[in-house]
Amino acid sequence: MGKYTKIKTIIAHEYLSKVKTKGFLIGTILGPLGLVALLGIIVYISMNFGDTSKKLAIVDNEGTIYTELIKKDSSLYYKADKNVDALKKELQEENIDGYVIIPEDILDKGNVSVYTGGGGGLGLISSLEDNLTSIVRVKRLERLGTDASVIDLIRQEVTVETNKITETGETEKDDTKAMAYVGYGLGFAMYFLVFIYGSFVSRGVIEEKSNRIIEVLASSARPFEIMMGKVIGIGLVGLTQIIFWLLLGFGLLTILGPLIFGDPESLKTMTDMAEAQGGGMASQTQGMSIPGVDFTLIIGFLFYFILGYFTYATFFAGVGAAVDNEQDAAQLQLPITLPIILAIMITPQIMNNPDSTLAVVLSIVPLTSPLIMIVRIAATNVPIIEIAASIAALIGFFFFAVWVSAKIYRIGILMTGKKPKFSDLIKWIRTA
Amino acid sequence: MQNQYNVPVIEVKNVKKQFGDYFANNDISLKVESGTIFGLLGPNGAGKTTLIRMINNIYMPDAGTITIFGNPVSEDTQNQVAYLPEERGLYKKQKVIDQLIYFAQLKGVEKSVAKKRAEQWLIRFDAASWANKKIQDLSKGMAQKVQFISTLLHEPKLLILDEPFSGFDPINAELLKEVILELKAQGKTIILSTHVMEQVEQMCDDICLINKGKAILQGNVREIKKSFGRDTILLEFEGDANFILDNPMLKVVNQTAHRIELKIIDSSFDSKSFFNELNQKLEVYKFELVEPSFHEIFIQSVKGNEVEIG
Repeated sequence: MGKYTKIKTIIAHEYLSKVKTKGFLIGTILGPLGLVALLGIIVYISMNFGDTSKKLAIVDNEGTIYTELIKKDSSLYYKADKNVDALKKELQEENIDGYVIIPEDILDKGNVSVYTGGGGGLGLISSLEDNLTSIVRVKRLERLGTDASVIDLIRQEVTVETNKITETGETEKDDTKAMAYVGYGLGFAMYFLVFIYGSFVSRGVIEEKSNRIIEVLASSARPFEIMMGKVIGIGLVGLTQIIFWLLLGFGLLTILGPLIFGDPESLKTMTDMAEAQGGGMASQTQGMSIPGVDFTLIIGFLFYFILGYFTYATFFAGVGAAVDNEQDAAQLQLPITLPIILAIMITPQIMNNPDSTLAVVLSIVPLTSPLIMIVRIAATNVPIIEIAASIAALIGFFFFAVWVSAKIYRIGILMTGKKPKFSDLIKWIRTA
Repeated sequence: MQNQYNVPVIEVKNVKKQFGDYFANNDISLKVESGTIFGLLGPNGAGKTTLIRMINNIYMPDAGTITIFGNPVSEDTQNQVAYLPEERGLYKKQKVIDQLIYFAQLKGVEKSVAKKRAEQWLIRFDAASWANKKIQDLSKGMAQKVQFISTLLHEPKLLILDEPFSGFDPINAELLKEVILELKAQGKTIILSTHVMEQVEQMCDDICLINKGKAILQGNVREIKKSFGRDTILLEFEGDANFILDNPMLKVVNQTAHRIELKIIDSSFDSKSFFNELNQKLEVYKFELVEPSFHEIFIQSVKGNEVEIG
C-alpha cells in the first residue's frame, strides 16, 4: 500500500462529502450575488448617507456669503429664518442640527463660528471650511477689483488624468481608480472565503471530536494525516468554487462584455447616472474606465487565497481540536482572527494609499498579507521584492501553523470535558 | 490454550501510561491467544480504554511493549485491528453506505471491495434498505448496527469490541452474539470489554480484570471459577426466608423475592443440615451448590484488590 493512501482517502472524503451537498451548489450560485449585493450596499450608504446627515442654518451678517454657500451644497446649508437667540433655543430643543454665524468682517479676518449640539464630525467641519475658503477667496479678489477672467481661472478645479508608463516605455491610460475598487472587492472576497472555509475546517474537526468519530479515525490513520487531510480537502472545495466563479466571470465577460462595456455611450450613461445621484462617488467615477481582465491579479488572488486559507485553516483545525463547541472555538481563535478583521477594516485606507508604509508593512506581515497584498496588487505597482518577502513570510508562517496545530490537535482531539485555556494550549505545544 | 503458531495475537508487557500524575496503566502484562474471546474487564476508569487505545496505536505507552502477531504496534498493525469504541461515532449527515466505504478505505480496503462487503453485511443485519439513508434518520439501535458493520469490512484478524451489546434490543443482541461467535469460529480473535458479567461467562475463554491501572485477576474463565470453589448456594423458594439472614456462616450476595445467592463464609458450614432446615421452613424449588458467579468474582476481586490468580 502506498505511503500516502490514507491522507488521499481523507482528502477525497472531505472533498466529495462537501461538493456533493446542496449547500455547496447554493453557495456557489449565491456567493457572487451576495458579494455584489454587499458592495452595492456599502457604495449606496457612502453615496447617500456620507455627508448629508446634518443641515446647518446660515446667519449671514456679511450678507452675500450665504447664497454662494447654498449654491455649493443645498443639501447642507439653508438660510436662517430666525435670530440667533431663537436658533440657540431650537438647537437646545434639538429641532435643528446647528447654525453658522458669518461675521460682518469675514473677508478681513476670515473666522467663522459654528454651533452644533455637539460633534458633527470632521467631514462636516472640513466641508464647511473648504466651501467658505473658496467663497471668501473669490470675494476678496473681487473686492480688490481683480479681472473677472482671473477669478474664473481660480474657480476652475483641476482634474487629474492618470497615466502609467509600461515597462516597454509606452504610455497607457491608468485604471487606478477602477482597480482600487476591484482591489476592494477582491479584499472582501478574500476575507469571506478564508473565513468561511476556515470555519468549515474547525466545524468539521469539532463534529468529529464531539461525535466521537475521531476514535475510529485515530485507530486508522495518524492525527497529522486526519488534520491535514481535512484542511487540504476543504481547501480544494474552495478552489473548485473560485475557479468555477472565474470561468463564469470569463464567460459572462466574453459574451456580455462587448454589449455592456464595449459601447462608450453606455459607459457615459453609467457615469452620468452616478453623477446625477450626487455625493462623493460622482467625482470619483469621472475619468474611470472599466479595466480589462488582469491575469497577474487573478493568479495573485488564487495564490494568496491558497496560502491565506492554509494558514488560517490549519490554525482553526488545531483550535477546533481543543474545544467541544463552536462558541469556545471562536474565543480561542480570536488572537489569529483579529489581524484579518483589522485588515478588512483598514482596507479603504490601503485602497486610497496603497504605497504607504502601513500598507507595505501589512502586506508583508503574515495573517494580514493575503488580504492587504491583493488590494495593493490591484491598486498599485507592487515591487517584486515586496511580493517575494510577503510570500516568504506567509509560507514560513504556514509551517509554523502546521507545527503548532499538529501538536494541539494530537492532544486536544481525544481530550474531553473541561474547556482548555489559552495557557493550556501553550503547555500542549511545549509537551507534545 | 495454545495456538498452533505459538505467537500470541496480542502481547502486552509491563506497559505503563501516565497522564500528568495519574497512572492510567501501571505495569500491565497480558497475552491474548489466537482464536479466543478475551474479556477485558474492570470498573469505570480502571484504564481499559487507555489500554485499548494503545493497542490501536492511538496512544503510545510510556514504558513497556505491545506486540500484535509478534510485531510492535505501529501504523502497519492498525489495518489488522478492528475497533468498536464504547462511545460510538458516525457522521450524522452522511449516508450509511458512504460511511461504511470510507471507514473501510481508511483501513486499506479498495473502494469497490468495500462496497460489496458493506452491502453483504447490511443484508446479514437485515439493514439493506438503509444503505442510502443518513445516520440522523436512523434509530440508535440501527446506528449501532452500522457502526458494528464498519469494523468488519477490512476483514480483521483481531476485533476489539467495547460494550458491543449496549443499545441493542434482545433480538438484535442475540443476532450480534451469533455473529461474534461466528467470527470466532472463523479463527478470528476478539477482545470483549463489557460490564455485563453474564456475557463474560457465556462467551469469554480468558479474561483480564483491571483495577486502578493494574491487572488484578487474569486467566481462563473456567479455571478462575474453579479456583474460587463451590462456595455459593443458589436458592429458589416460596415462603419467609428471613431466618437465613441470621445465619453467621452465610453472607447474602444477591437477593430477590424468591431467589437468594448465598456465599459460605465459614468452612465448618454443613450444607446438608442447612438443606434440611430449609425444607422444613420453606417450599424449596432449587438448591444448588455452585462456583461463584462472575458478577460476584468481579465485586470480590475489585473490593479485595489483592487476589492474584493465573
